[in-house]
Amino acid sequence: MRFWSLFTRNIKETCRDVMALAFLLAFPLLFMLLFGAAFGGSNSPSYAVGVVDNDQTEVSQGFINNALSEVSVLQVSTYNDTDTALEKLRLGNISSYIVIPQGFGEQVSQLWQSKQGNISLDITYDESNLAVSEQIISIINSVTRSFAGIEIPITINTNPINIESRITNMDFTAPGIIIFGLLIMIPTAGRLMLHDKETHFLHRIMTTPTHPWEFLAGYASSMVIIAIIQIIIFILLGWMFGMDIIGSIWLAFAIFLLAAVCSIGIGMVVASLSKSENQGESLSWLFSMPLAIVSGVWFSIEFLPPYLQTFANLFPYAHAVSAARAVITRGVGMEAVSGDVYFLIGWAVVVFIVGTILFRRTMRS
Amino acid sequence: MVIDNPIYFKKPDDNFAIQTFDITRIFGKLVAVNGINLNIKKGELFALLGPNGAGKTTIISMLCCLLKPSSGTALVMGHDINKDPYRVKATLGISPQETTLSDHLNPLENLELIGSLHNMKPKVLRERAKKLLETMGLAERAKDQVRKFSGGMKRRLNIAMALINDPPIIILDEPTLGLDPQSRRVVWKYIARLKKDKTILLTTHYLEEADFLADRIGIIDEGKLVALGTSRDLKNDMIDTHTIVIKAWNLTQKTIMEMKAKYEDVQISDGTMTITDRLADFRKIVDYLHAAGTIIRSAYIREPTLDDVFIKITGKELRE
Ligand SMILES: Nc1ncnc2c1ncn2[C@@H]1O[C@H](COP(=O)(O)OP(=O)(O)OP(=O)(O)O)[C@@H](O)[C@H]1O
Ligand SMILES: [Mg+2]
Repeated sequence: MRFWSLFTRNIKETCRDVMALAFLLAFPLLFMLLFGAAFGGSNSPSYAVGVVDNDQTEVSQGFINNALSEVSVLQVSTYNDTDTALEKLRLGNISSYIVIPQGFGEQVSQLWQSKQGNISLDITYDESNLAVSEQIISIINSVTRSFAGIEIPITINTNPINIESRITNMDFTAPGIIIFGLLIMIPTAGRLMLHDKETHFLHRIMTTPTHPWEFLAGYASSMVIIAIIQIIIFILLGWMFGMDIIGSIWLAFAIFLLAAVCSIGIGMVVASLSKSENQGESLSWLFSMPLAIVSGVWFSIEFLPPYLQTFANLFPYAHAVSAARAVITRGVGMEAVSGDVYFLIGWAVVVFIVGTILFRRTMRS
Repeated sequence: MVIDNPIYFKKPDDNFAIQTFDITRIFGKLVAVNGINLNIKKGELFALLGPNGAGKTTIISMLCCLLKPSSGTALVMGHDINKDPYRVKATLGISPQETTLSDHLNPLENLELIGSLHNMKPKVLRERAKKLLETMGLAERAKDQVRKFSGGMKRRLNIAMALINDPPIIILDEPTLGLDPQSRRVVWKYIARLKKDKTILLTTHYLEEADFLADRIGIIDEGKLVALGTSRDLKNDMIDTHTIVIKAWNLTQKTIMEMKAKYEDVQISDGTMTITDRLADFRKIVDYLHAAGTIIRSAYIREPTLDDVFIKITGKELRE
């Protein structure tokens, strides 16, 4: 009952404050539109990629002709040896090349039969063009996984590249952008609590016998509503710009929502620690920007040095990005992303417990 | 350290709504509240009087469990503020010194929020909220967001929010701050009506407010309780001091100098001479002025006011 009163009050206070609401909703909208215009739609860039087939088996030929060539953003050319490919890369004719090693066909066949094993591909890319290279690598990674059936078992007889041939650039970019949009909820999540602190309204309602968790749940749940609306906007816009969700849309939604809940939790912690709106906002930007950079929302975290990867993996966003990408671009189910999902749930629980403890402390100074 | 503090041997008493035991609060080096012992009876209206920064709000914040005492404690309706804050809060209705409302809600919603946080039943709450808005003269604006209200209207709602949960103890921190005289009178009347079955603790800068409303007055200065009693008790302390006010047409500089030489405190403004002195004799002064050829328009002895008491005790004026 108390929680409900606080929840409805917070929703009213947020929704009737036109400026605040506009900021909360228009900002992600604008943001997604910009990125959609940049990466999505019909004029998505295409990447020239070279392939050197050292395996020369039916499987490797199938991989080149049916899997790689079907990806709309890739322009695949085959070369006979690595020297030629390297020369082309130097001249800038291609932005990277793949070497299919001997034994590739055997490895893949084994995977199809026993669902066990490993495959290796060599990718050489132009280091000076990191953003493009990262796109290509993640596309190739995804295509190969799909082709080899590491996550989705596919047999060669049915058309194995069917799914992946629809991959657009947007499919790769969108999950990262959405997670970034949800990550930057950290600064806005605590806005109302800090506003109430500054105007002493929080003090006033603290003179009622309301418990710390009720306050926190009241603030957080009103933000969850905002987050749900944001996620719907994100998915709709992503879809408009050509993002296909191959896996379950509900699973993707759940992953986004969990990421948002973690952001809201961090926002609550920051708001509990800060004294004013300004302080809280600066503090959370200081925290969320570096976190966004290392969490792989713009480029794959495999590019980072190992210690930064370890650091990124302590936080929810790297997990959310990889889980969301897996569901959206590779169509995997819960069984493949359960580790990440449980990590997100655990993180959300812990951050809210920490938030409640900190809030309780500030309730009586 | 807590164990051998003598306050813990003081007895809780059922007749009191609020008891403080050497309650103290220190901010860094500043002792904002310094070992105050207060007993406020059930059904009593107690006024805390003191200049800016005396520690009134700090005491109130400790009583409603927003601030922890640095040492000492208090019992509110028998519940210890250090041990049982939720029970304490359930017995209180508070109107803070600063007006704080939820800006985008209307007054009805503001009242209902506080009421439901006190676990009131929705139906009872709605009725009571409407009645309070009526009393405070806000009924016509019940559906407007409070951010559009005038300062005085917000202030009245601020008070109403202390009353919504019908608590046994009402704490009003400078309730009539910023109200026009008419609204102030309305609020006073309402507080006076509540007096019968509620315990009320209020702080104020308005001496006439304390004089008019309070059963007992505590004067605090620099965190210490410096005087305590009924308005009459406090004024009786001044009984040996007389204030004589004389209005005259033609006070000469010579006469004024002579009076100033004779008496402790002589103030002149607009042809009015105010003499405050223990030894001042009304008749002697009038005779003396008469003999000096002064034409007296009016002359009277003024009863001591709380203002006088205040200045005498603290050596400063209440308002700067
Ligand atoms: N949170 C705080 N931190 C530091 N000092 C404080 C704090 N709150 C109050 N003080 C100090 O404690 C002293 C008492 O303040 P308090 O607000 O209790 O005075 P007051 O009697 O209510 O004054 P006023 O009539 O101006 O409202 C002041 O000197 C004030 O500066
Ligand atoms: Mg005060």
